[in-house]
Amino acid sequence: MEAVPPISGIGTGRDDCWIPSACSLCYGTCSILAHRVDGVLVKLEGNPESAAGKGRLCGKGVSGLMTHYDPNRVRVPLRRTNPKKGMGVDPGWKEISWEEALDEVARRLKKLRGEDPRKLFIQRTTTVTSSRTPIQVFAAAFGTPNRSSAGGGLHCGNGAHLISGIMHASWSVVPDFQYCNYAVYFGASKGHSAGHASCSNMGLAAEARARGMKMVVVDPMCNFAAAKATEWVPIRVGTDAALALAMGNVMVNELGIYDAPYLRAKTNAPYLIGPDKLYARDPESGKPLVWDLGAAAPRPYDAVSSEAMALEGEFPVNGVLCRPAFELLKNHLKNFTPEWAERITTIPAADVHRLGSEFAREARVGSTIVIDGVTVPYRPVAAIAFRGSQGHVNSVYNFLAVDLLNQLVGSADMAGGCLGFNPACHGYPETGRPYFVPKAGPDGLMITGIWMAHHNPYPIGEPRMPEQIGLQDLFVLCQTSPFSDSSDREEMWDKLDLPYRPEILLNYGTNSLMSIGNKETVAGALAQFKFVISIDLFLTESSDFADIVLPDCDYLESLDSRPNFPFIFNLPGGLGEWCWPIKQPAIQPDGEQRRSSDILVELADRIGMREDLNAAFNVVLKLEGPFRLEGERKYSYEEVCDAELKNNFGAQHGLEWFKKNGVIKWPKKPEEVYWRHFVDTRVPIYWEFLPVLREKIAALAEPRGIKIPQRYYEPLPDWIPCPAHVTNGAFDLYAFYYRDIIHTNSFTMENPWLDEAARLDPYSYTIAINAGTGRKKGLVDGEEIWVETDAGRRVKGKVHLTEAVHPEGVGIAACAGHWGEGMPIAKGKGVFFNDLLEVDYDHASPVNLNLDLCVKVKVSKARGVGR
Amino acid sequence: MVIDLKRCIGCYGCQLSCKAEHGTPPGVFFARLLKQEEGHYPTVRQLFLPVLCFHCDEPACVEVCPTGASSKAPDGIVDIDPDECVGCRACMMACPYSQRYFLDEERHYFPGNGATPYEQARSERHPSGVVMKCNFCRHRISVGKEPACVANCPAVARHFGDLDDPTSTVSRLIKERGGYTLHPELGTGPAVYYLPA
Repeated sequence: MEAVPPISGIGTGRDDCWIPSACSLCYGTCSILAHRVDGVLVKLEGNPESAAGKGRLCGKGVSGLMTHYDPNRVRVPLRRTNPKKGMGVDPGWKEISWEEALDEVARRLKKLRGEDPRKLFIQRTTTVTSSRTPIQVFAAAFGTPNRSSAGGGLHCGNGAHLISGIMHASWSVVPDFQYCNYAVYFGASKGHSAGHASCSNMGLAAEARARGMKMVVVDPMCNFAAAKATEWVPIRVGTDAALALAMGNVMVNELGIYDAPYLRAKTNAPYLIGPDKLYARDPESGKPLVWDLGAAAPRPYDAVSSEAMALEGEFPVNGVLCRPAFELLKNHLKNFTPEWAERITTIPAADVHRLGSEFAREARVGSTIVIDGVTVPYRPVAAIAFRGSQGHVNSVYNFLAVDLLNQLVGSADMAGGCLGFNPACHGYPETGRPYFVPKAGPDGLMITGIWMAHHNPYPIGEPRMPEQIGLQDLFVLCQTSPFSDSSDREEMWDKLDLPYRPEILLNYGTNSLMSIGNKETVAGALAQFKFVISIDLFLTESSDFADIVLPDCDYLESLDSRPNFPFIFNLPGGLGEWCWPIKQPAIQPDGEQRRSSDILVELADRIGMREDLNAAFNVVLKLEGPFRLEGERKYSYEEVCDAELKNNFGAQHGLEWFKKNGVIKWPKKPEEVYWRHFVDTRVPIYWEFLPVLREKIAALAEPRGIKIPQRYYEPLPDWIPCPAHVTNGAFDLYAFYYRDIIHTNSFTMENPWLDEAARLDPYSYTIAINAGTGRKKGLVDGEEIWVETDAGRRVKGKVHLTEAVHPEGVGIAACAGHWGEGMPIAKGKGVFFNDLLEVDYDHASPVNLNLDLCVKVKVSKARGVGR
Repeated sequence: MVIDLKRCIGCYGCQLSCKAEHGTPPGVFFARLLKQEEGHYPTVRQLFLPVLCFHCDEPACVEVCPTGASSKAPDGIVDIDPDECVGCRACMMACPYSQRYFLDEERHYFPGNGATPYEQARSERHPSGVVMKCNFCRHRISVGKEPACVANCPAVARHFGDLDDPTSTVSRLIKERGGYTLHPELGTGPAVYYLPA
C-alpha cells in the first residue's frame, strides 16, 4: 500500500488517498479504507487486507460518512446556564473555551479524588470499542471502581458474557462456521445482524448455509437469522431454558448419546457430589474427588487418568454416599420432558423431541478430523445463545442450559462445534505476543486467558459489603449493574451501607436515558449527580442532564492502537488469520472537537494523576521493558499507542508502520482455534459454586432485608418464569425488543441513510404483532397503537401485522424513539421499547443482575385515546 | 449479474454501498432491498429481494426515450446520458421494474442545512431535472473492479460477469442453481438473475 499522505497535505491538489482504519458504527469494528480527496472524505470501503470484515462492510459501515458530516454534531465545548435539570428542561447551553471547560472539570475531579475517588461514576457507550481501554485506565488511575457500559452489558451481557467466559473462555460464542453442520440459535443472530465480528460472521454464516449447514433458529420472531434458517422454531418469549433442558433430556436419557470421554476429561462431570450438593473433597489437599474405577476408590481429580473416572453410580466417600455430577445432571434432566416443555414454550413436544435427536445424532460423537495436519475431535453441532435468551431474570440458567447441549456432546471449542471467539492465542510469531491461553484454576476449572471486564468470570469472587454503586462486589457474577440507575438504588445502597454516594458522572457517548430502561427512572438517577460531564458527538436526551459537554472527535478523526483487541471480543472466531489493525485519523475535525482519549490524558495531567495513569497503562497494555511508561513522564495518547504496538510486534512495527500498513496479521493454528483439545482444563457442567456463593451473599444481604432466592442458585439449571410469565388479566402479550440489522443502539437513527432505509423497512420502526392476534383485537395494519404495561408505562407506534411473529409476541426493533432536538433526523422515529422496562431488583436476575427484557403488555388503538 | 438469495441476509449492504459509491440524493436508489413475507404462521418465510436496473435485452425504457438519452451499449449496459435527457419520464412509465428515478430538484440529507462537504463533492454526478439509475458502476468495471454492490456484499451473495460466456461464473451459477429472472413473461430479457433461497 502507498504511504498515506499526511493530513496536513490537504489542499495541495494531490490529496487523493485511501487510509486504512477501523469502523465504529457498531462495536464489531471492521477494518476500513477511507478515501479522501482534497480534504473531503468521499467513500468508505472494507479493507480486504484485514480479517475484520475481509474487505466488506455492512449497511451501517458504508454509511459512516453521513454520521461524520452530520451538521448537528457538537463542535464546541458547552456549559449549561440553567441550574434546573430534567427531561424537557432547556439546559441553556453556552459556548465556552476548552481551557475553561477543562479547568473546571479538572478542578472538580481533583477535589472529588481528594475526598473519595469512588464518588466518580464513569459510563461509556459500547458502540465505540476503542473507548474501552482509555476509560478503564483513567478509572483505575483515578481510583474509582464505578464504571458501566450503560445498557450495553446490562442488556446483552451478564449472562452471555459471564457464561461464555466460564465455559468457553471468551466473551461470546459462535458456530464453527467452516465445519459446523447443525447449528441451533437461541435468541441470537450471529452472522445475520449486528454484534461481535458482525460483518465477518455474515460472510462465514452465508458460506456455511451455502455449504449445507442446517440452521435452526429458536426465536419469537422470524427476522434476520430466523429468516435464513432451515427451520424457524417460534417460542414463547423467555422460555429458552425449557426447550434446551428438554432437548438435553432426550439426548442423554432417551437416546443415551453423550461424549463420555469429553465429559470425563474436560468437565467436572466425574466429580463426586455429596448429599449437601457440594464436592466430596480430599481431606488433605481439599481437591474434589472422583471415583477411580480401576482402584475402586475415591481419588483427587488430578490423580486419576480420565478414562478411569466413573460418570455414573453411587460411591461411598468416608461413609457418605456420593454421586458423580454427571449422574445428578442426567437424573435432573428427567424432569424436563418434551411434553412439559411444550406447555412452557408452546413448541410441540414432537418438535422438541426431534430437535434433541437431530442435535445428538449430528454431533457424530467419537469422530475426529484432520485439519492442517492436526487431528482434533469433530463435533459439527453448535447450540449458541445471546441476548434474546439470556435477557431475563433466569439469565444464568437460560444460557447455561443452552451451552450444556454443547458440553454433553463434546462440541465445545472442537472442530465444527460451538466456539468461543479466539480464547487462545500463541502470539505474533516474531515476538510471541500477545499470548493468552486458558488454564486450570481452583478445583481444576478453567480460568480465561484474557478477559474484558472487572474480574475474571472464574474463580468466583468473594462477596463482600459493596463499595461499588452497582453492588458487583456483593453480586460477584454481575458485570454491568442496574443499580447505578434503578428506581430502588437508594434503598439498596441504604440497606447495604454503601459508604458514599456518587457525585460526579463522566459520561462517554452513552444515551443512558434511552439505553437502560424507562426514562423516568433513569432521569431520576441522572438528576441526582451534582455534576455531569458528557463527551458527546451529538446532544442527546441524556446530555440534557450534563453540566459541561465536551465535543468528541468521531472515529474518522481518532486514533487507537487496538480496535480489535482483545480478540475474544470482535475478531472472527474459527480458523483464518490473527489480525491486529489500528484506527487512525483520516481527516481533521471541522470544529473544536478533540479526541476523547486525548481529553482523558489531558485531564489526568490537570488532576495530577499522571504517574497513576502511566502505571495503569503499563498494566492494562502489558507494557514491558523499554516500552513501559515511566514515572510521571508525560506521554500523548499517540505515544502510548506507539508503545503498545512496539511492545507487541517489535520496535520496527510502531505506530508509523501501522499508519502506513494498517494491519499486521499471521495465520491461526488449529492448536489455537481448537485449544480445548490441547489444554488440560475443565469447565463446570455442575455449578457447585452457586449454592456456596448464595450462602455468602445471603449472609450479608438477607439480614439487611434483601432476599437472595435459593431457586436461582442451584448447581443445575432450571426454567424459572419471568415476571412477565405471571398471568395478568388483560395484559396478554409479551413485548420484546430485537437488534435491527441497520441500527446500532440508539445512535444510528441520526444517520440519514440508515434512517431512510429503516423507514422503507416493514419492521424497523414499527410494532410487529402476529396477524391473527391483531385481527382478533380488531387492529388494522399501519394504524397507531399503544403498548401498555401493568405498571402503567406505555409507548405508541405503528402496528405491523405480520405472520412472522409468535401469536403472543410484540416485537419492537432497536433502541429508537428519540424525542430530543439534538438529533433531528432521529427524532420521532421508531418505538422506544426500553420505556416499558422497570429497572429494579425485582426485574433483574438475582444472580447476575441482568435486566429482564420481556414485559407483559396489552395493546390498544391509539386513535382518540392519546394523552 | 447474479444474486444468490440463499446467501442474501437482507442487511441493506447493497442499497447503502450503492449510496456510498454514487452519493445519490434522498429518495434515489440505484440498488434497493425489498422484503416480503410468504406463508402463514408458523410456516412463514421472509424473502429478501435486492433489486436494481435489470439491464434488459429488450429495454422498454430505451424504446420509449424520445431523445436517445437512454441507450443500450454493446456491452449490454443500459445507461442514460444526462445531457440528452429532457426529463420527460416516459422511461419511468415504461420500466416494468420501477428502477428509474427522477430528481426534480436538488435534495440534501440534512433538511435546512444545505449540502454537506460530502454531498458537495458528489452532487455534480446528479443533476436535477433528469432521470437516473444504476449503470452497473460503469466507472468501476471500466477499470477492472466489480460494481460496488457486488464488491461489498458481506454475504458474498452477488456475482458479476459475462452472461454471453457459458464458462463464466455467472453462467455456471445460473445453470447449476436454476437461476431465474423476474417477470420473464414481460419479454424484456433481464440481465439480472436470482438464485433460489
